[in-house]
Amino acid sequence: MTFDDETVMAYVDGELEPLARAALEAAIAGDPQLQQRVAAQRVLRTRLQRAGAAVLAEPVPERLLSTARGARAPATILPPARARRPARRWSWPQGGALAASLVVGALLGPLLLHPPAGPVTTRDGRLLAAGALAQALSQQLASTQPADAAVRIGLSFRRRDGAYCRSFLLRAPSPLAGVACREPDAWRMQVLAAAAPGAAAGGYRPAAAAMPAAVTQAVDALIAGEPFDAAAEAAARGRAWNR
Amino acid sequence: MAPPAELHAQLVALLPRLRRYARTLARNVHDADDLVQLALERALTRAEQLQADAPLAGWIYGIVRNAWIDEVRARERHTRLLTPEVGASLVSRVSGPADAEQLAVQAALASLPEEQRSAVALVLIEGLSYKEAAYALGVPVGTLTSRLARGRDALQRLLGEPEPQT
Repeated sequence: MTFDDETVMAYVDGELEPLARAALEAAIAGDPQLQQRVAAQRVLRTRLQRAGAAVLAEPVPERLLSTARGARAPATILPPARARRPARRWSWPQGGALAASLVVGALLGPLLLHPPAGPVTTRDGRLLAAGALAQALSQQLASTQPADAAVRIGLSFRRRDGAYCRSFLLRAPSPLAGVACREPDAWRMQVLAAAAPGAAAGGYRPAAAAMPAAVTQAVDALIAGEPFDAAAEAAARGRAWNR
Repeated sequence: MAPPAELHAQLVALLPRLRRYARTLARNVHDADDLVQLALERALTRAEQLQADAPLAGWIYGIVRNAWIDEVRARERHTRLLTPEVGASLVSRVSGPADAEQLAVQAALASLPEEQRSAVALVLIEGLSYKEAAYALGVPVGTLTSRLARGRDALQRLLGEPEPQT
């Protein structure tokens, strides 16, 4: 009787059903080659377990323990332990509200001083896209936009709650990048960050490559699934960005 | 669904093993712990989705692994470059220098494609059942066992016989 490799492996893993296990154990005494195959799988298993054993002896960092114990509400505040460390991608809170409040302060004043055609405005305590930026967010497609467009659209995607969001680069009045998500009446800013001079100047770089880290991190925190391709982007515009 | 207090206790008990699995995915200890942190937050947020008959270990290991895949995708999205992860930093920070055997096993594991690496790590190192590991990876048991067999074959070829113990 012969036993294929997966059967031998399942035997070593304790996963063989009782009948097959009995057959293998009956055959093994008189089959040196089978003995050797079983032994080789046992040795590999032991070597892997030994290599991994040291990690288990390490003390678990307190921040992980306190999260596992539910000592703080998940995904709502920056834990102090990581606030002391450089910002890492997955330390960003979901929803992006905190991100916006952190990034926007120094940028916001001058932008709001550009009425009536400035790129952002406030309403009901929300920071909203206005003017040419709002127009571009609603109408412009990343797949067809001219390289010298005043507003360059980056990624379009769905947020975890289903709302449509788009990242953008703005050339004037100052180089600015951000993410806005669609609400029933307007595009609401999730994050705004200063962009490198020239980042919005067009050319051959994809807009995504020129985004400041704060914006790419916000996209990571917000996105559900993959960014849209050209067809999905056009379809979402066809629905007027309604969920 | 597990009552919250019970789930918290189970997560605490699983933490050392979750850290170990994360180190076969992420490039370094800090990234691995960040991965576990993110997975814990997701697990607690989604606790109500945990079916009564779902294997808890399979569920939480799967959240760790999916968080890692999200992270790799995010990097690809922003850099438009595919940088294969070579990870498997199973070597402990605190237990002193690793011996040659441990380094050899680590390097061999790190060279496997992630699908095979996760199958090997979950079954052979973490001790999950085939059913639990398949649940974690979101694949049928037959797919898991075939990845496991390919991973084992590759490891046997890479590692050969162990060095005699001195």
